[in-house]
Amino acid sequence: GKNCSCAWLFWWSVLCSASQKATIPVSNDTRDLLLATVSEDSTASQIHQSVSALSALGLPLASQEVVSALKARISKEDNVLAIILALLTASRLSQQAELGDILEEIEDLAARLDDLGGVYLQFEEGLEATALFVSAAYSLSDHVDMEPPLKEDQVIQLVNSIFSKKSWDSLSEAFSVASAAASLSNNHFHVPVIVSAQGPAAVSHSHPFLRLQVTDVLCQPLSSASVLAESASAVSSKSAVLSQALFTLRDGVFELNFMASQPASGYYQFSVAIAGDSRFVANHVELKVKVSTRVAINNMDLSVVDKDQSIGPKTTRVEYPTKAKASFMADGHQNFAMTFQLVDETTGVELTPHQTFVRLHNQKTGQEVVFVAEPDSKNLYKFELDTAERKTEFDSISGTYALYLMVGDATLENPILWNVADVVLKFLDEEAPGTIQAKTLYVPKPEIPHLFREPEKKPPTAVSNTFTALVLSPFLLLLILWFKLGANISNFTLSPSTILFHIGHAATLGLMYVYWTHLNMFQTLKYLAIIGSLTFLAGNRMLAQKAVKRYKKI
Amino acid sequence: MSNNSVISVISRFLEEYASSTPNKLKVIDAYLLYVMMTGALQFLYCLLVGTFPFNSFLSGFISCVGSFILAVCLRIQINPQNKGKFLSISPERAFADFLFAHTVLHLVVINFIG
Repeated sequence: GKNCSCAWLFWWSVLCSASQKATIPVSNDTRDLLLATVSEDSTASQIHQSVSALSALGLPLASQEVVSALKARISKEDNVLAIILALLTASRLSQQAELGDILEEIEDLAARLDDLGGVYLQFEEGLEATALFVSAAYSLSDHVDMEPPLKEDQVIQLVNSIFSKKSWDSLSEAFSVASAAASLSNNHFHVPVIVSAQGPAAVSHSHPFLRLQVTDVLCQPLSSASVLAESASAVSSKSAVLSQALFTLRDGVFELNFMASQPASGYYQFSVAIAGDSRFVANHVELKVKVSTRVAINNMDLSVVDKDQSIGPKTTRVEYPTKAKASFMADGHQNFAMTFQLVDETTGVELTPHQTFVRLHNQKTGQEVVFVAEPDSKNLYKFELDTAERKTEFDSISGTYALYLMVGDATLENPILWNVADVVLKFLDEEAPGTIQAKTLYVPKPEIPHLFREPEKKPPTAVSNTFTALVLSPFLLLLILWFKLGANISNFTLSPSTILFHIGHAATLGLMYVYWTHLNMFQTLKYLAIIGSLTFLAGNRMLAQKAVKRYKKI
Repeated sequence: MSNNSVISVISRFLEEYASSTPNKLKVIDAYLLYVMMTGALQFLYCLLVGTFPFNSFLSGFISCVGSFILAVCLRIQINPQNKGKFLSISPERAFADFLFAHTVLHLVVINFIG
């Protein structure tokens, strides 16, 4: 009842005010209904809708009552969306009302934002809440004309979060992002500046201007801004190339003729400052700019050098992009050599690009071998081919190879693939393989069978049996000796302790055998404890009796 | 000449031994000879054929060595000429010690024989 009509009235009043009807007839009942909603018992959303409807319809409302109702609702509901709605409601109240407490909520809400990796700042409730917070905070701050307590870093991180998505889950999410964009581009305090290069950030002789687009978050160009390149330094050498250079505005784009400073090719780090309005936020940016150039090949000399240096080298000069007319021969006695220089086409400065390859392509077999040409200390590139050294790369296949020079780099506008000459290579014929096989790298390799540990070599059974008999033979000798000495058991008394002792002793020996064959140490110790104690007691008794007998005899 | 003296020394020693040593000690001496021969034969096997179950060889050899030592101790303690040095140890006590030590020795030997 009350909820539905409130919401309906809210939307209807918004539509009416949007269509700018100056006076809208409203009955007293409607007005009373809206005023009655402004109380502690309605939700923040209802209060927002009724206050908005009342202000859209131009009806008077008691701002102080609204403020106290809002404060009560904030302490009761205390969730992010309720507080945001309170902020939006407060921005529709009279400026004379005491909105200080509500204004403080902006700071409390900002403290609830989650910092994600120092790049994003958003509520855990999601993107919509974050975007609505931004638009509510700025609309209230504009209304009371007090700067919102958001630091520059926070504003930058909020912008990152709000504009991180390219498509939205719902219409309300899209609305919140649009609303935030509108507040961020048009409020009295903070206007984030977006700087991007038009096209790739690269300059060259044919495109000497560095073009930057400087806009607000709604991509509206900030024509009142002045863009200054505070410094530009080479990334590799860190030497400064430019200082305090002003960009000029042309057709809504800021441009600077960087090539006028004659930078060498490479990468440069620019530090750009945008001034012109005290509201600008994020107005210092770092930019990486590439300077490209065209490369020219000078002094390409091909020669055949004799190994024992008996004949002087014959050098042929070839101009790019022509091909040498005669082909060159390299075999066991002669090496093929190539030298050249790489320079910047316009300035003549020597260059050392990342990729300088020499490719030899056998037209008949399709083989291809690539080498790297290295520069020496004077930046002169050299390449030498010794057939004896390099026969493994070529698989010793003789024939005519087309020689290509490949030059490439990120900062070169004209990468080069130049068929310089034909080279006839001769390897020793006996080493050439019969058929030319494509290098098979990705076939299964031969299986490695597992080698189990081989048991140790045992001596033949006959030998071990012989030695067993041999080792047991001294026992026989012992028995013979004892017999000869007259050892006897005539003193054997048949008392129980003697018998028990001998049984126990025999049991111990038996236990040893059983230990060897079946038991482990713990079990043996257990049995030994039993047998041993019996044997000990019996033996003690027996020996004591023997001792007494001996004393009696003496 | 030296040969003769060595032989004469040995023969005299054997005579003395046969006459003056009590029988009990001779019994033990025979046992000692037996143990020594067993140990020597085991060592010979190891030299000739190899140390294949090395743990077994060690255990057997140590058993012989240990038994020899214990028997020598028994002989010393039983010898009536040494009575003065072993006043608190009667021959029976010596024999009991001998048996106990042998039990421990054999426990270790059997554990190691594998």
